[in-house]
Amino acid sequence: MRYAREYCGVIGFILVLFTLYISLIQTGPAKFFTAPNAQKLFYFHVPSGLITYLAFMMVVGGSAFYLYNRSDYADKLSKCSAELGLVFGFMSLASGTFWMKAEWGGDIFSRFLTDMRLATTLAMWILYIAYVVYRRQPETFTVKKNAAILGLSGMVMVPLSYLSSRFLRSHHPVIVGTEDQGSLDPSLRFGLYMGLFGFLFLYVFLFSTRMKIEDMERRILKTKMEEI
Amino acid sequence: MRFFPYLLVVLLVTGNASAECRDKECMPNQYTAEWENTTDWIFHYDSIFTIGDNWFIIFERLEGPSNPDSITFEFAKGPSKITDFDNNVTKVNSGSISFSGSSFIEESFHNVFYINFTRNGEDGEIFSSYELEIQINKPPAEDLVFLWGGMTVFWLSIGLYVLYISSKFHELSDKIGVENNEPREKN
Repeated sequence: MRYAREYCGVIGFILVLFTLYISLIQTGPAKFFTAPNAQKLFYFHVPSGLITYLAFMMVVGGSAFYLYNRSDYADKLSKCSAELGLVFGFMSLASGTFWMKAEWGGDIFSRFLTDMRLATTLAMWILYIAYVVYRRQPETFTVKKNAAILGLSGMVMVPLSYLSSRFLRSHHPVIVGTEDQGSLDPSLRFGLYMGLFGFLFLYVFLFSTRMKIEDMERRILKTKMEEI
Repeated sequence: MRFFPYLLVVLLVTGNASAECRDKECMPNQYTAEWENTTDWIFHYDSIFTIGDNWFIIFERLEGPSNPDSITFEFAKGPSKITDFDNNVTKVNSGSISFSGSSFIEESFHNVFYINFTRNGEDGEIFSSYELEIQINKPPAEDLVFLWGGMTVFWLSIGLYVLYISSKFHELSDKIGVENNEPREKN
């Protein structure tokens, strides 16, 4: 479909703006929170966190597929998705850090060292920084293969980060798949889903744009190589 | 990447606390009231009552022959407090009284605050009243700074990334167009 990418971007942007309206204006300060205003970061922190997991899982899938059949498309997919995972991961980590400081207080360094959800998520994010940095060199077969092996390590890091608040020592609340999910206030749930769909559309837009850029870069490189 | 250390520094610096000052030097306003045309009393206070912080009024008696039996401090629409003096024992030269920061919930302006002097004399109760104007201020919630901090970082990061890929896209489109002698590829 023509302009599908642009439509995704526009729909995503509108949904995120609508989420902003719901969080800041429609819902008042949240009850039962130490920092009822900072709680509004929830509508952006959770969706961006989930999109980060999606992006890194795509890196894992793409890396596995590349190692299986040397698919160039899978390699491109991993590379682009890792970059987007870093962006959304930064958004999630930064908004979470501000919310944590307001809600829990205390020293943020010791929180990141002692709370397993925070520690594993930061470790996952740093791992993919290494992945993206590694990919900034000329793309030989060895570089692609090593990057795929590094990308595949997300197979451990992503589930570890996601499940750490359930099984390891952590203050981080767990909502999905628990009793708390059913007790979420309807207005809260609506805003959360709105944010989630908004960021999903934005992710699709940014991902397809990044893939197109990657195609163009490879095309230019190929032309140059042919000239040589 | 350079932004992250700056963010951490800002978060560290924001966690400070300031103590309440109960000295008369800290009070920005003062008012002089006269008792029985003989004794001057000076009241040190802050004309802004900040909800959440205890509000103090410090008083001191200048030279004069007598004390009232009591001074009542009273908000026209709010709490009141009374200070009793034992006139027979000693003259009181100074004192203070405080109202809890939770005395008010909502912001309001031009509130009348009464200072009433009373003494039960032989002719009955001698009474003189003075009025101060107090503004009740509701400060913004402390966690708002974290909300705006989080939001700013959030929108800046996605905005900068969109700018980055947009400029890269146009740069590469131009490059391909020049090489192939074609117009810029449509975004």
